[in-house]
Amino acid sequence: MALRFIAVIVAIRMIIAVLIGVPIPGTNLFTLPTLSLPDWIAGIRIGGPVTIERLLSTLGEVMIIVGVVALFAAATSLASPHRSIRALPLAFYQLGLILTIATSIFPQLVASIKRIRLARRMRGVEAGGLRNWRKIAMPLLEDALERSLDLSAAMESRGFGQRIKRTSYRPDSWGILESSILFSAAISAASATVLAESSLTMVISGGLAGVVALIPLSAREKTYVENSREFDGVLS
Amino acid sequence: MISFRKVSLIYPNSSSTVFDDVTFEVGEGEFVLLIGATGMGKSSALKLMNGLVPHHTGGILGGDIQVGGISTRTVRPGELAHLIGIVGQNPIHGFVTDIVEEEIAFAMESLAIDESAMRKRVEEVLDLLALTPLRRRTITSLSGGEQQRVAIAAALVMNPRILLLDEPTSALDPVAAEEVLSILQRIVHDLGVTVVIAEHRLERVIHYAERVIYIASDGSVRVGSPEEVMRSAEIAPPIVELARALGWEEMPLSVRDARRVGAKNINLGEPSPLKALHGEGEAVVEIKRASLGYPSRQVIKELTCTISSGEIVALMGRNGSGKSTLLKSIAGLAEVFSGEIKVADRDPKSLSGHELIELIGYVPQEPADLLYGESVAEECALADHDNKLKPGATLDLAQRLLPEINPATHPRDLSEGQRLILVLAIVLTTSPRLLILDEPTRGLDYQSKERLISILRERVATDSSAVLLATHDVELVAELAERVLFIADGELVSDGEVREVLTASLPFAPQVSKIFAPSKWLTVSEVIDALQK
Repeated sequence: MALRFIAVIVAIRMIIAVLIGVPIPGTNLFTLPTLSLPDWIAGIRIGGPVTIERLLSTLGEVMIIVGVVALFAAATSLASPHRSIRALPLAFYQLGLILTIATSIFPQLVASIKRIRLARRMRGVEAGGLRNWRKIAMPLLEDALERSLDLSAAMESRGFGQRIKRTSYRPDSWGILESSILFSAAISAASATVLAESSLTMVISGGLAGVVALIPLSAREKTYVENSREFDGVLS
Repeated sequence: MISFRKVSLIYPNSSSTVFDDVTFEVGEGEFVLLIGATGMGKSSALKLMNGLVPHHTGGILGGDIQVGGISTRTVRPGELAHLIGIVGQNPIHGFVTDIVEEEIAFAMESLAIDESAMRKRVEEVLDLLALTPLRRRTITSLSGGEQQRVAIAAALVMNPRILLLDEPTSALDPVAAEEVLSILQRIVHDLGVTVVIAEHRLERVIHYAERVIYIASDGSVRVGSPEEVMRSAEIAPPIVELARALGWEEMPLSVRDARRVGAKNINLGEPSPLKALHGEGEAVVEIKRASLGYPSRQVIKELTCTISSGEIVALMGRNGSGKSTLLKSIAGLAEVFSGEIKVADRDPKSLSGHELIELIGYVPQEPADLLYGESVAEECALADHDNKLKPGATLDLAQRLLPEINPATHPRDLSEGQRLILVLAIVLTTSPRLLILDEPTRGLDYQSKERLISILRERVATDSSAVLLATHDVELVAELAERVLFIADGELVSDGEVREVLTASLPFAPQVSKIFAPSKWLTVSEVIDALQK
């Protein structure tokens, strides 16, 4: 899942690099026909000669992006939003909870939209088109409102907000996975500052960080799969 | 424990009262059942008990409600959290966290109970509700019955003295419902907790109840022992109807009682076999070795069956066995991996718009999804427009099916049963060859169910059409269907005449068949007819 995502990022960036870019002189690989653009965007060139240096420099940039994405993916795979709000100071707990619930609404909204569109189809009206937006928006909003009222009623009757102080059921543990992510983040930060000058070293540093981050990531790949299954379940 | 004194309630922007001068008491450690027709205020009564009404919903409350000596008027529901636990109609809407254990601990975290006490309580509750194997699962991955148990655990963890549940079994299959109810009974007996449940399907719960609060359709409230209330209540499970029809003096509430009281003296013999199935009408639905599901998961495996015109077919099976998926595929809404599905010789996926609705009428699990108008009249006018009918046709049908409907009402203000009938009217105006209903009786009372039965019967009798409905309601199936398809884990395990299929499995057998076993009688009216002959 995460690997596929990274591959797509690399592919898109490389294709764009070949087509559009700032000319960097060096060994010429091949030359594309140049598209002439008006004067006011003179800095950009479409087509033209493609050099090894240009590809390498883009690869370096891509590797940094990959490194960042991999690190973020690894970090989020460790903590669901529900888990991460526990790390917040108590003063922010309520705000954090509101944000968490708000984000968890999105998969529900997607599920509701799907359901309602199916229902629309079964009333003989093809979905899509701006004219139909109200017919989907009305039941959707009513649904969302009903859900949030139910949720707030449930939270209120379970004593939420009764005490200013809260306790935590299970303090989060610091494990080897957490350490390895922190470690890979440190490596990438260090290599980025020390070796940032040349394009080849950038490739090495970004790639290294990405690879290190992939270790905990692959350990958690199973969780991803499970989660995406659940998501299918929600949609079905 | 709970006392209502001269309670009246009126909601904002409403012209009629929900309760008017209601007085009753519920004692400690009782299993209380709250019954009444839809829209008579069962949910409101539960929410009054923990103060969600009027603190959370608004409204004017007259009189006084005391719970454990505290007046709900003076405190907010949160302050009663240690005293009352409440489980709403859709527990999934009320979950705050994503993991079972953490959800259970949520209330205790809010009340700042210290960590070691919290862990001990969570362990106890997990054991009590048999949730230990599921403790680290995410809540969305659980089945309906398991989610219901998590919601009960989350309410019980505070050691409340009262537990309120709003239709805890309406979304559950008979097996899961039985599990939840026996756990509730254990809670009453072992912990002395007062349990109040609102429920429509009396046949599932009445034998557990020690006391019944009955809200009659004129708004009056009666409290008494189940036997007392069942003597005269307008709503009654089949067992009570049988006892009333046969004039038994003692009012039986369980199958065992009924057999003891009178059934063993009745010799009915065997029912005459129904007319032969299949082969009469032409095939409306043809399914050949179809495997169905979603990209990541195959739900139905190689299913083959045919449904002919004139048939009412019930699709049964446990939660998550693939009933909804099958219905959706027949309506052309889900993926067919292999094999084929044909409705009246057409591939349902290729149909759209007008062609589709003339062939297939589909009532989804949430009938409200089909509605978006601001009044019943507007809704019907939109349906006329969509279906290219002459103006007024849909409203005519709606008024015929539901005479008391007021065209100016907002569809959301209709009761669950009325809304279903309105959706049925909209779907039926095009006279589709195949009518599909997904769980039509969630939240329906007996009266609405009878109405549904007569509409569907009339439908297949007059038109060359077929009805396919998925449901957990065995009594409805016994009354309505002629044929049952039973699905387990994505495979068709039995397909046959309703009598054979229903009496073959204990949890899916209707009450009458349990009473007269081993004879295969299904409904009260059948038994009465047989006795009169």
